[in-house]
Amino acid sequence: MIEAKGVFLTYGDGTEALKDVNLKIEAGEIVYVTGPSGSGKTSLLKLIMGIEYPTEGYLKVMGQNMVREEASNIRRLRRRMGPVFQEFKLIRGRTALENVVLGMRFLGFPPKMIREEAKTALERVGLGHKAYSLVEKLSWGESQRVAIARAIARKPALILADEPTGNLDLKNALNILEILTSLRDERTSVIITTHATHLIEDVEEGKFVRVDNGIIQVERRGVLAI
Amino acid sequence: MRSTIYNIGYFLKEAKTIFKVDLLSNIFSILSIGLIFFILALVISGWGISNYVIGIIEKEAEINVYFREDMRDPDIIELIKEIESIEGIGKAVFVSQEEAYNRMVEILGSEAAILELFDENPFSPFIEVQIHIEEVDSILEELEKIEEVEHIRDNKRVIDRLQNIVFILKIIGLLAVVAVGISTLVVISHIIRQGIYNNREQINTLELLGAPEFFIGFPFFLEGLFLTIMGGLIASLLLVITIRYGYSQMGIALTFIPLPSKDILTNNMVIFIMASSGVLGAVGSLFGLMSSR
Ligand SMILES: Nc1ncnc2c1ncn2[C@@H]1O[C@H](COP(=O)(O)OP(=O)(O)O)[C@@H](O)[C@H]1O
Ligand SMILES: [Mg+2]
Repeated sequence: MIEAKGVFLTYGDGTEALKDVNLKIEAGEIVYVTGPSGSGKTSLLKLIMGIEYPTEGYLKVMGQNMVREEASNIRRLRRRMGPVFQEFKLIRGRTALENVVLGMRFLGFPPKMIREEAKTALERVGLGHKAYSLVEKLSWGESQRVAIARAIARKPALILADEPTGNLDLKNALNILEILTSLRDERTSVIITTHATHLIEDVEEGKFVRVDNGIIQVERRGVLAI
Repeated sequence: MRSTIYNIGYFLKEAKTIFKVDLLSNIFSILSIGLIFFILALVISGWGISNYVIGIIEKEAEINVYFREDMRDPDIIELIKEIESIEGIGKAVFVSQEEAYNRMVEILGSEAAILELFDENPFSPFIEVQIHIEEVDSILEELEKIEEVEHIRDNKRVIDRLQNIVFILKIIGLLAVVAVGISTLVVISHIIRQGIYNNREQINTLELLGAPEFFIGFPFFLEGLFLTIMGGLIASLLLVITIRYGYSQMGIALTFIPLPSKDILTNNMVIFIMASSGVLGAVGSLFGLMSSR
């Protein structure tokens, strides 16, 4: 699903966000990316989504070579991803349901099922009752759930959740992690970043990618890590 | 395709939202596009009207041929036959001295008394010749070759002058079309760019979600089209009012000046304005979309 060989990412201002990343993620894996703030977790997701391109090295996502020349194919590739952005990126002036529906409109779903699926996704994150609320009226935690609902309603092959537990209390955070991990199946991989290592201390299964100052270290736990 | 139809409602709603976000500047754009198209319509109407008038004058073109005084009737009949055989000439009719006098009485109306100052009829008989105006030069040449012809009076100069006016109007019209085209394109593509800038966050999010360019751009395209078509409607409305007012002001003069029918003129101009606003709106929107990528 994802293959990185000797990938470097250096931003325009010279910041070396990732150094010599070698990583393989298979379909159906669950991956936790941890590391202190500023270590390069978001940068890694940006590379996988094609928001940034490797300055050096080789990166392939779902068979797609991630280079600038492939921009239009990469945009198509994103239709198979369910991103949950750190800052949510919900569209203001619209209801929670409209936000979820908007993320599905161009994916080729049968029009009849879009609204139903969107509602189901909102219910799955426990926000069925807020479907018709404008997103700017929602609390932090509720917004986070709308963002997750938008991601999962797309039925993506790859879920990318950037700090989905940030700023949530422990109970809500664990609940969100539970929802996200439950999405994993044979075809769907889930990547979750978090700087709150204590949240995943007890997690028994998955691949653990520790990022420190742009350098990664991989550790496997349980059967779901390949 | 199916998803495009499914999304039409969304596209329209988006276009409406984009319009409302920048309401004031969009309304000003509609008004200025309306005025631009109105000015264009005026120029083109003027051009159409003068073309029409000249067409009629040209169709009715006639010249008067004066012949030697000593000619007898059979010779005059011969001469008429000869003239009629010249290429480009329609009909030639003899106008006697008396008829020439009576025509002048008619033209002068209440001033006709002035003619009584003459002891004799001061007019000469002549032959009235209807011609095709395009061939006026060769006709005049042929006529001058005929020995019995003394003098020819034609209205070529009047027609020449009219044609000059039409030529100038045509150039002004062309310039107006070009100017309107360019300014509409500039206004519309600027508005589209502004809209895209105002919505950059949402566009960015849609891009990150993998939305196709068509999906992102189409609402902006619709908005640009809507703005120009609204402008076109305003221009049409102004033009209808102007034509109506103009024709009513002409009053009795209308019976003497051969103007095109008010309805035909109005119809043609409205069709022209709406068609060109549609085309320019579409092209301008595409420009705006392409230039802000
Ligand atoms: N667009 C950018 N331009 C320059 N530097 C950046 C940019 N984005 C992130 N960085 C820098 O790259 C490093 C890694 O950032 P990031 O991947 O966001 O870390 P994390 O998500 O782990 O907090 C940080 O030093 C950050 O300041
Ligand atoms: Mg981050």
